[in-house]
Amino acid sequence: MYYFDWELFWRYIWPPSAFQDPLLRAGLVVTIVVSIVAQALGVGFGLLAALGKMSKFAGFRWLADGYIWYFRGTPLLVQMSLLFFGLGVTHIYDFPDIRLGILTISGAIQAGTLALAINEGAYMAEIIRAGIESIDPGQMEAAKSLGMNYSLAMRRIILPQAARVIIPPLGNEFNNMMKTTSLLQVISASELFFAFNQANARLFKPFELFIAASLYYLALTTIWSFIQSRIEARVGERKGATQRPGLWQRFLSGGTKGAH
Amino acid sequence: MSAQPDKQVIVHAEKVNKFFGALHVLKDVSLDVYKNEVVVILGPSGSGKSTFLRCINHLEKINDGHIYVNGHMIGYLERDGRLVEDSEANIARQRAEIGMVFQRFNLFPHLTALGNVIEAPIRVRGIPASQARAEGERLLERVGLADKRNQYPNQLSGGQQQRVAIARALAMKPNLMLFDEPTSALDPEMIGEVLEVMQELADEMTMIVVSHEMGFARAAAQRVVFMDKGQIIEQGAPEEFFDHPKEERTRLFLGQILH
Repeated sequence: MYYFDWELFWRYIWPPSAFQDPLLRAGLVVTIVVSIVAQALGVGFGLLAALGKMSKFAGFRWLADGYIWYFRGTPLLVQMSLLFFGLGVTHIYDFPDIRLGILTISGAIQAGTLALAINEGAYMAEIIRAGIESIDPGQMEAAKSLGMNYSLAMRRIILPQAARVIIPPLGNEFNNMMKTTSLLQVISASELFFAFNQANARLFKPFELFIAASLYYLALTTIWSFIQSRIEARVGERKGATQRPGLWQRFLSGGTKGAH
Repeated sequence: MSAQPDKQVIVHAEKVNKFFGALHVLKDVSLDVYKNEVVVILGPSGSGKSTFLRCINHLEKINDGHIYVNGHMIGYLERDGRLVEDSEANIARQRAEIGMVFQRFNLFPHLTALGNVIEAPIRVRGIPASQARAEGERLLERVGLADKRNQYPNQLSGGQQQRVAIARALAMKPNLMLFDEPTSALDPEMIGEVLEVMQELADEMTMIVVSHEMGFARAAAQRVVFMDKGQIIEQGAPEEFFDHPKEERTRLFLGQILH
């Protein structure tokens, strides 16, 4: 019969005691910051790829298609390893640490964030394109007939409307993103899961520690669900948009799909 | 004729041809429209009348021929005797001088009525927001919707939406207005309010209107153009056109829509 070490378990899920471990404290911050930065960059890459896919220039379409094909068709873990270890060994880019005042961003975190962002962009591209294509073509015609060029019409007329369609799946992508950052531990980026792995290497209590780790991620995604439903309610209220699933329904579904 | 048109040519279309794939939708269409003239284009569905209207502000490309608006060719440049597509910036600049009203209104649903009206003056013309707002409110008042300026399109009736759309087009101070079946998507009780606004405009604007509204054509048009199968079949002053059509196809069409 396995002896469950409650004392250790509580110590690791009760924040005041858990955060005495500097690795865990930093790990939580890294996980949150990396998620936000990677998702934001991913939206940027996705927007570029979506516009590329809809471009009238064949070169841009091929570029966007190739990007989406490769990054959706290969595992994120492989992409991340290729970027960090692969580029490192060629000395094309070594991912040196970046110092910002007292803050040091390790090469592993940079590479991991970039890999997450590039991978995410390939998924966001399809979400953004679907959002743009859901807008009645008459909107673009009306904008053009008023003398707007393509980019002005996109920014002021099409994208604000497409955002209403894009925001719900974007929220789900961010939910996934927070969980997927745990892959960064394979390139030794000091995020949340890395901190628990280090603790486990010291204490060898994988059952207690990894349950504790899972609860941190659950807390993050649950808080995000709250924020997400508030955002969606705000975006939807003006035009009496369709009813979103209720809060409880959303918590229990825990996001929509596994990590990419 | 209610008013003698000026001689200044606003739209000069010359042997315009257009294909949708193998379908020849415009066949050598030529038409001149003069300053302050109101031209109503009639024709059965599929006659090419809406397509022709959309070619005038280059929402549709043409395969052959020339269209000049305000003295400049629209959509194309002549280079070594061949036509090449004009730059996006040039096309946009010309479109800014051409107002267009669509069958399905195409208001921007994320903007209020006033927001719809002032968007292009501010973003395209660079007019200060306060000035654009003052002018926008005047325009909404003119179409009878001053009290609706803060409403979103989905809070307005079809007739109100179309009047906002007219105000939106007028806000750019165009010197030509195109109307693409502006009342076809409206419930019958709302057609009157839109036609009334258009009729007031007709006294001071150059207008090309694709519409089946005979009452409007008789009251406001200087010229009625009948199109069928991609060609202009007949044109003339409204009284003469409606009361003594020359062509058999015109008589047939008028017979159908008048009964």
